[in-house]
Amino acid sequence: MKKGLIAFLLIVCTVLSVTAQDAREIVKRANDKINGEESSYGIMAMTIIRPEWERTLEFKNWTRGTEFALTLITAPARDKGQSFLKRSTEMWSWNPTISRMIKLPPSMMSQGWMGSDYTNDDILKESSVVDDYTHEIIGEEEIEGRVCYKIKMQAKEDAAVIWGHQIRWIDKKDYLFMKAELYDEDGYLVRTELGKDIKNMDGRLIPSVLELIPEDEEGYKTIVVIEGIEFNIPLEESFFSQQNLKRVR
Amino acid sequence: MKNYKMAWRNLWRNRRRTFITVASVFFAVFFALVMRSLQLGTYDSMYKNIIESYSGYIQVQDEDFWENKIVDNVFVNTGELTETIKSDRNVEDVIPRFESFALASSGSRSKGVLVMGIDPEKEKLLSDVESKLVKYRLTEETVEKIKSENIPDYLAENMDLFLGNSYSSAGRLQIDLGIKKSDEDALMPLFEKYASVDNGYFSMGENAALVGDKLAKYLGLERGDTIILLGQAYHGYTAAGKYVIEGIVKIPNPDIENKIVYLPVDICQTLFYTNDMFTAMVVHIKDNSDDAIDNTIKRLDINLENPYRVLGWREMNETLVQQLDADDKGGLIMIGILYLVIAFGVFGTVLMMTAERRREFGVLVAIGMQKTKMAGVMVYEMLYIGLLGILAGSGVALPAIIYGYHHPIHFPSKFTKIFEEYGFEPELAFQWIDKYFISQSLVVAIIVLVAITYPVVKINKMKEVNALKA
Repeated sequence: MKKGLIAFLLIVCTVLSVTAQDAREIVKRANDKINGEESSYGIMAMTIIRPEWERTLEFKNWTRGTEFALTLITAPARDKGQSFLKRSTEMWSWNPTISRMIKLPPSMMSQGWMGSDYTNDDILKESSVVDDYTHEIIGEEEIEGRVCYKIKMQAKEDAAVIWGHQIRWIDKKDYLFMKAELYDEDGYLVRTELGKDIKNMDGRLIPSVLELIPEDEEGYKTIVVIEGIEFNIPLEESFFSQQNLKRVR
Repeated sequence: MKNYKMAWRNLWRNRRRTFITVASVFFAVFFALVMRSLQLGTYDSMYKNIIESYSGYIQVQDEDFWENKIVDNVFVNTGELTETIKSDRNVEDVIPRFESFALASSGSRSKGVLVMGIDPEKEKLLSDVESKLVKYRLTEETVEKIKSENIPDYLAENMDLFLGNSYSSAGRLQIDLGIKKSDEDALMPLFEKYASVDNGYFSMGENAALVGDKLAKYLGLERGDTIILLGQAYHGYTAAGKYVIEGIVKIPNPDIENKIVYLPVDICQTLFYTNDMFTAMVVHIKDNSDDAIDNTIKRLDINLENPYRVLGWREMNETLVQQLDADDKGGLIMIGILYLVIAFGVFGTVLMMTAERRREFGVLVAIGMQKTKMAGVMVYEMLYIGLLGILAGSGVALPAIIYGYHHPIHFPSKFTKIFEEYGFEPELAFQWIDKYFISQSLVVAIIVLVAITYPVVKINKMKEVNALKA
């Protein structure tokens, strides 16, 4: 009897871990797809929408794995030339008007990037949707005509993430992030992200428009349009250096 | 004989008894007044401190700015706005401000700071940043040098206590270090020679900054260094600028001193990409009594349409007001206890007096005096006593409070440091004679009136036969 119970528990555990593995695998594939397995280089435009005003800024973004990222603002003129560098957990910003490099304190990670609804953490991807969460498939739903896995991602206790949990809808066929709901530690919905306008870019199908809608701010929205993106291009670690932060064009 | 005349003679028939009763009322009034004056005076000096170094009495802001202090909630200063505010009869002048937050950085250290764009000339009317520039600094080096001169022991001791402190006035330095008036002439030249700091002010359009003393220490900055400010400008643009530090300022509030950076207001507007826009117009008023402020706010509220909002200092310093209100309640409880003690004191004396004079009352009634007349005489006696006590009490409290108002009590050097850490001025100030003066006297008068009922009731119930035997 006792042996039977242990065997049963073992089976339950394996089954659970298999589904967990699957969910994690799905998130990883979707994440790799949009961020590139090795590296990526993208040209993007971001529109910040507020009840009284809106503005658009353009930037280039290089990433290598989850460790390294570099972002350069190319427009508008007043912000042009500003760049941001992330090396593992450290973050630096270069501003040409004051020709100074500034290390961003961790307290600024949750603040809006360039006045948008994206936080510095979002842009520089300090936390990983794959490694910092435990994943679980909680259902299937259709979003914009595509059948999606509905995956609940619970933040790991020791992970440095600002969310309590996330629910993501990932396209079953092409592994696309179609929708995400991000919740704070108390379980309140903080923002919704939508993937739209699916296009073939650099040989893979990805949503080319990302919409970010904060929950508690009426009329606030940020839209990022991917104008061009290349995946797995050769990028050395030395590219993500403080020297290059000032030079990069 | 008239009742009041008889009562007056009765009082002086037994002087000692009268004196004891008057004294109990006298002390009641005196202590209640001095205690209340000290308490209200201390609050007042704390409010003045924050009002005059930061918020001002009244501010006009964009209607959303107070709830959400971002640079998007600003307003353009049309001449019309200034004119409307200035046309109020209690308004002296309008002082423009631009206030926002930024990240200040110097080399490897950075800290979130409050950036305050000020009009260098107009601001002299209110917070007068220029007068807050550090004039003396007690560094280890200067203290050693001063010690090597011929100085009294107490000064050496106190200098160790205040090592690292900065002062914007000689007066405050003397209070902290306990420099005696007689030593002033001999000692102050030493501080001028070794401890004085050279600081400059700025004018409009100058790419310069004034930094709080504590903040400068944290960032490791001195006059002539460059401070970098980074933040969010109007509509999400990036605010970035570098400024030469022209001066280090000492703010009486340590909280503010820890995070303040002053810029000329036009430079601040350039930094935040908001030409001709302001976050607040500080209204400099002529009469700063509570009623006058309330009325001015009401009038401005009517005269200014959307999108403006008029804020009074109570609203702007809510935390402090609440803290002090809570403290005030505690103080009122203390005074309540004081009154209770006083009430029983007065009542006890009256009780004793009535018991003492029982036989006398009995005899008077026996020889034909009416009870009502006797009770009337008794009431007059008590009223005289109460009046004498209240007059004497407030009469003595008055000069004491006037003296205290002009000469606040300073604590010995050892304590000033503690006060400073909590952000209080190390002095006990008295409140000028005000409403509280009357209300305190009134409360004591009521206590006396209540005490009168006892002998009146006692006389009416008195059995003459028993009273005669007493």
